[in-house]
Amino acid sequence: MLAVSPALCPDIEERAGVAGDAGMEVVGMSSDMEFDFSVDDIDFGDFFLRLEDGDVLPDLEVDPAEIFTDFEAIATSGGEGVQDQEVPTVELLAPTEDVGVVDPCGDVVGEENAAFSEAGEEKGGCNHDEDAAEANADDGADGAAAAEAKSSSPSSTTSSSQEAESRHKSSSKSSQGKKKAKVDWTPELHRRFVQAVEQLGIDKAVPSRILEIMGIDSLTRHNIASHLQKYRSHRKHMIAREVEAASWTQRRQIYAAGGGAVAKRPESNVWAVPTIGFPPPPPPPHPAPIQHFGRPLHVWGHPTMDSSRVPMWPPRHLVPRGPAPPWVPPPPSPSDPAFWHHPYMRGPGHVPTQGTPCMAMPMPAARFPAPPVPGLVPCPMYRPLTPQALASKNQQDAQLQLQVQPTSESIDAAIGDVLSKPWLPLPLGLKPPSVDSVMGELQRQGVANVPPACG
Amino acid sequence: MGDSSSSASYIRMVHHLIEKCICFNLNKEECMEALEKHANINPVVTSTVWKELEKENKEFFETYNKDRAERNIEAETMQRIQKMLSDAAASKGSDDDES
Repeated sequence: MLAVSPALCPDIEERAGVAGDAGMEVVGMSSDMEFDFSVDDIDFGDFFLRLEDGDVLPDLEVDPAEIFTDFEAIATSGGEGVQDQEVPTVELLAPTEDVGVVDPCGDVVGEENAAFSEAGEEKGGCNHDEDAAEANADDGADGAAAAEAKSSSPSSTTSSSQEAESRHKSSSKSSQGKKKAKVDWTPELHRRFVQAVEQLGIDKAVPSRILEIMGIDSLTRHNIASHLQKYRSHRKHMIAREVEAASWTQRRQIYAAGGGAVAKRPESNVWAVPTIGFPPPPPPPHPAPIQHFGRPLHVWGHPTMDSSRVPMWPPRHLVPRGPAPPWVPPPPSPSDPAFWHHPYMRGPGHVPTQGTPCMAMPMPAARFPAPPVPGLVPCPMYRPLTPQALASKNQQDAQLQLQVQPTSESIDAAIGDVLSKPWLPLPLGLKPPSVDSVMGELQRQGVANVPPACG
Repeated sequence: MGDSSSSASYIRMVHHLIEKCICFNLNKEECMEALEKHANINPVVTSTVWKELEKENKEFFETYNKDRAERNIEAETMQRIQKMLSDAAASKGSDDDES
């Protein structure tokens, strides 16, 4: 960012130093320009007048830092190319207060740019070539002084053409340079974006077309492009999760179809729920579908989850995709406690088996990466009753037997985990028992509490 | 012997372990056994903490136990069905083999 305030900075060296620090060579007067001049020498009016001829730059939200970086580049390139040109007079090198230039407002941007480029050109000739080269290389803004000074000099016909040229260059550059404008993607804005994308089709959604459809002037193609990139990657993530959940649900369905003994879970979306975890009062069935939808994506207590984004994106793009995700619509089964707790119980069953430390609300995507992992699935119903796989049934049967109960190793692993990392949060978050009553009870049973030295 | 803070932390640990076991759908007895086996915890302690937890979290345990019961039924049913299917497959397979 600009380290220099737009206020008058009479001290050139100071500014040079500042510019050096900030890396914002906007105002850098190189210290080798030791001229005695003051602000008064500069005819700003003339300066602005000149530059108004050129392109009028749109007033966008600009990050001045970015612009100046661009300018610097231009100035550098300009300067280096022109070092051996005309020898400007001393007047030209009057250190224009870069006040106007420094002003980070969009209007002046082009002027600054122009100034820099011009300055670069001018300065090259003026100073020693090495110095100029250095200055230009380091400090495109050095030339600013020269350029601005130049503007007050009528004798630079060549310079005015150069000026026009560089101005043109700079203005076109700066409009591109503004591509990194900070855009605040409000929900409304994002909604329009998504609408536009959907209209075009996610694959065909090209930033320029999106921009057209959205019809918002303050957005640049680049803003859209980067937002689109993020959106696409987010979608992929959602889709992956959805696919996993869907396949999980299908297995569940197969089981439910085959099981029949328990009518409580006829729906297929049971497994969509596990992430909700164990809220003692289960949410009401009907608002639930939407919540189900959003919830699994909202990792409970997961710090990186952007909850403000979650509700927006998935429903937006998944809902319009219609019935594809099978787990969306069906409301939870009537027996809510069972519904909520049962899958929850099973869900976390995967947690320890995968050696992960307890997480209260396992995500379907995270937790069911390979649902039919043999031997690790505590509930047998995940063995799919795939009718076509009859030949392999025997193997599956064998595996099924094992899966009825969690393996000793997995339990051992989980326990070991708890023992070694006592700081981990409780997987279920049950209300802890009162120490006193436990102690009392133990005493009654004749047990001393101290963690026993040996089992 | 154990001062109160170490007792408290011990109890907390046992609580944590019990929760882990619940994640594995173990019942109280299984839990006692597992904790004793893998963590050297006196089953009496496990049992006591479990009971206390149950008192504090009645609803949870009610559902948990119900679920377990259901699950067992389901498992049984599944096994029966699996058996039926495998029997069918076996007979079908033998048909295929023969032909």
